[in-house]
Formats: sequence, structure tokens, C-alpha cells
Amino acid sequence: MKRNLNKQLEEILSKRAKSKVTRYTIYFFAFLLVAWSIQSTIVEDTDWERIGGLDTVVNTVAKFMPPDLSLFKHLIGPTIETFMIACLGTMLAVVFSIPVAWMAALNVTPSKAIAYPIGRAIMTLTRSVHEIVWGLIFVSAVGLGALPGIMAVSMRSIGFISKLTAEAIEDIEPGPLEAIKSTGANQLQIIFFGVIPQILPAFIGNTIFQWDINIRRATIMGLVGAGGLGLAFHRQLVMYNYGGVTTVIIAILMLIAIGEIGSYYGRRAVQ
Amino acid sequence: MAVLEVKDLRIRYNRSSPDILKGVSFMVDPGDFFAIIGPSGAGKSTLIRCINRLVEPTAGDVFLNGQNITRMDGGDLRRARRDMGMIFQEFNLVERMSVMDNVLSGRLGYVGTFKSFLRMYPKKEIKRALELLDQVGLGDFVNKRADELSGGQRQRVGIARALIQEPRILLVDEPTSSLDPKIAREVMGMIKTMSEAFDVPVLCNIHDVQLALEFSNHVIGLQDGIKKFDGPTQDVDKNTLEEIYAMEIL
Repeated sequence: MKRNLNKQLEEILSKRAKSKVTRYTIYFFAFLLVAWSIQSTIVEDTDWERIGGLDTVVNTVAKFMPPDLSLFKHLIGPTIETFMIACLGTMLAVVFSIPVAWMAALNVTPSKAIAYPIGRAIMTLTRSVHEIVWGLIFVSAVGLGALPGIMAVSMRSIGFISKLTAEAIEDIEPGPLEAIKSTGANQLQIIFFGVIPQILPAFIGNTIFQWDINIRRATIMGLVGAGGLGLAFHRQLVMYNYGGVTTVIIAILMLIAIGEIGSYYGRRAVQ
Repeated sequence: MAVLEVKDLRIRYNRSSPDILKGVSFMVDPGDFFAIIGPSGAGKSTLIRCINRLVEPTAGDVFLNGQNITRMDGGDLRRARRDMGMIFQEFNLVERMSVMDNVLSGRLGYVGTFKSFLRMYPKKEIKRALELLDQVGLGDFVNKRADELSGGQRQRVGIARALIQEPRILLVDEPTSSLDPKIAREVMGMIKTMSEAFDVPVLCNIHDVQLALEFSNHVIGLQDGIKKFDGPTQDVDKNTLEEIYAMEIL
């Protein structure tokens, strides 16, 4: 008995020693990886000759001060436009998300073989392409202005809203569905009375959250010619009017704050 | 003529699994209050769900007023479902809708899709819903949301929802399992009273033997998918119950 116990003890100790070796080997390689990344991307890739001291940094920052307030009245239009790009983009995304979510929720999808993979593909595709890339695509498709911005913002949102909605649909209680079905209701009525009331709070919450994010996205749409404050930002920057750039940034911050506050209270109201 | 006739009903969920129901037959006449009793897993719930085809039977026939439900599909099946009011163990109300809208959802089979989306129910149906809610004692809760109600109150909404269908039969699936004993008896009493008032027979599966014997006039004993007993409630004695519940000793 005693010998047996000792043997077990030996086994445990040797196992632990082994796992220690593995652990330090992993640490070593992780360190190597980090060192190599720093070497290749920062040390070799930076133009060290042009980097200045602390004084250049201070000087550059000082150029952005004070903000050019004369610009302010010219920013009202673009600010409203940015806000509208976010609102209309979100609305458009909601319209497209509903069928996508319906196709991509396993428990309500009209066909697991065809509709489900299509729905999932749309989700992944729209979400994995950056809004700036969507912006470039739509600017080349429909020209400059707010319209491509709206389209780009909504494309990027479809994936997010439809994914979360599909997940909410998959999580619903099946009981009320059964009850509605057993009254002799048809398929559309089952969805309308059994599914929608159950997912509505999550759907509205996600949409508001996405609208908040879309305000941020809309502020940079102008960089690729798709309207809003981004365009004003770009213009001030290429004119070397750094005070003006600061003003635009202030306007962007104010707009984002409005979105943040609206999103907070809106989502609290639906919970 | 029998209101409901079930003939040699068999169900199996998939090819490899054993049969849940192994050929069950019985008849429900007007004025009957059937209690289906039996141990857990005997197939009581499956049997009830087969009748309005929430579960698809593998073989056998179900006749409601002489019409074969198992052969129906699409619109015919939906019309047949209107004639069968169902009351559930978990109430299955739409939690975020008002009591009134939950009751009115019992009329979905009669209202057009578009009209139902706009909640445009005919005035006389809203009146009917109000009357029914009064009858089940929820007259003061019409505009409350379903999730604000207690269990017993929710089940009474469920009863009103089933009755507004003007059903030919009430299918009742363990109506009392989510309720405490006192409320359970009240709910059973209400189902009984309403079924008499509306002259609609009841097929109720219930594991509480005491309640089954108290409220039914006819008992079906199921054990492992086989009908072990089928007769008037007064014929149920200790031996019958022992036979039906024999499996539970294991």
C-alpha cells in the first residue's frame, strides 16, 4: 500500500515537472515572437531620421490650437448630414436585416439547405468588409455625396443587426409558438404573434446600439468622398488649416456624445 | 356520434427509437371529461399533441366530427385546428402582449393575416373576449400585460384563449403542473365549469390522479405507450391504478 502511494506521488511529481518544461518552452517562443514582431515592424520600418524630439511633438500639437471658430457655421450642414447618414443607414440596415435574420435563424428559416447558408453568407460578408471599403465601392458606383455614405453604413450594419436578431430568434421560447399554431394561425401569423413579440426588445436595443456606432462611422465617410463631417475634416487637413481640423474634431466629438447619450437612454427605455 | 375518435395511433420520433405510442384507440363523446393518466414518459403529452398535429403521428387516424385530421394539410389542417382549443402546462401566453390580445389570438385562425397584423379584430369578438375574461374572473386585468399575472391568472387567460376559438373539443395538457395544489384545483374546476357551460368535451392529460378522479367522468390509463385502462371514472380502483403505475416501482 505504502509503496503504491509513493509510486503515485512520483508519477504526479514527474507529470508536473514535465508540464513545467512545456510551460517555459511556450513562454520562450511567445517572447521570441513578440521580439521578432517589434524588430520587423517598428525597428526596421520606422523612419528614425525624421523622428524629432519632444519639442517637435509639442510644436505640432500647438499648431492645432486654438480651434478655428470661424469655421463653426460652415459645419452645421455637414454635422446634420453626418447624423442623417447614420439614421438613414441604420434604417436601411434594419429593412435588410429582417429577411436575412429570418433566413439565418435555424428554427424559422424557410429552408435549411438554401436560405440558411445564404443568410449566414450575407451576414459574414457584410460584416467582414470595413465601412471605408464599402464607402469606396459605393462612391465608385453612385458617385460622391451622402448617398454612398448611407449605403456603406447600412451595408456594414446588416451583418451585425441580422446576426444578433437571428440569435435572439433561435433563443425564443417554443411554447407560445405552439399555442399560436394550435389556434389555426398560418405561418405569417405564427411569426408575427409568436416570434416578433419575443425578440422585439433585443432587436430595438441592438438597432439603437448600431445607430450609435453608425454615427461614428458616418463621421469618417467623407474621407472617401461619401459626405458628412469627414469631408470637412479632409479639406481642413489638406489646406494645412490645423485650427480648422480641431474645430471639426470638436464637432465630431459633440455629435458622438449626442449619439452616446441617446443610445444610453434609448436602450434603457426598451429594457 | 363521437366528437373525437382516435384509431390505432402510433408515433415514433425517428426510425431507430422505440414507439412512443403503440396503437392507442378511444372515443370521446359529447359531454365527456376524459382524463388521461399514467406515469411520466407514458406518452400522455405526445398523444394530446398528436390530435391537433403539433406532433406528427407515424400511423393511425384521428377523426374530429367524422373528418380525418391525420390526412389533412395546409388550410384544411388550420381550419381543423380552429375547432380544437388547447390549454398548456406552461400557459404559453405571449408574455409581452396584453391579456386582451392574448385572448384574441385565439381568433387568429378566423381573421385574415393582414387584419390580424393591424389587430383589427371584429367588434363582436372583442366583446366576446371581454365576456370570457369576466367569466374566468379576470375582468379587471384586461389591459395588463401577460407577464404581470400570477400562474393561476395566466392559466385562466389560457382557458379564455382556448374558449374564444369556439372549439368542438378542449385539449388540455397538464394544466396544473406549474401551479400550487389549491390553485390547481381551482383551475381544474374552472375548466370543468366552462366545458359544461359551453357544452364542449375535454381531453385532459394529468398526472395528479386525485384531480383526475375528482373531475373526470372517463379515464384512460396509459403505460409505456399502451392503453392499460379505458372506462368510466367510477370503475377505477386501487388495482387499476397499481396496474397503470406498475412501471414506476422501478
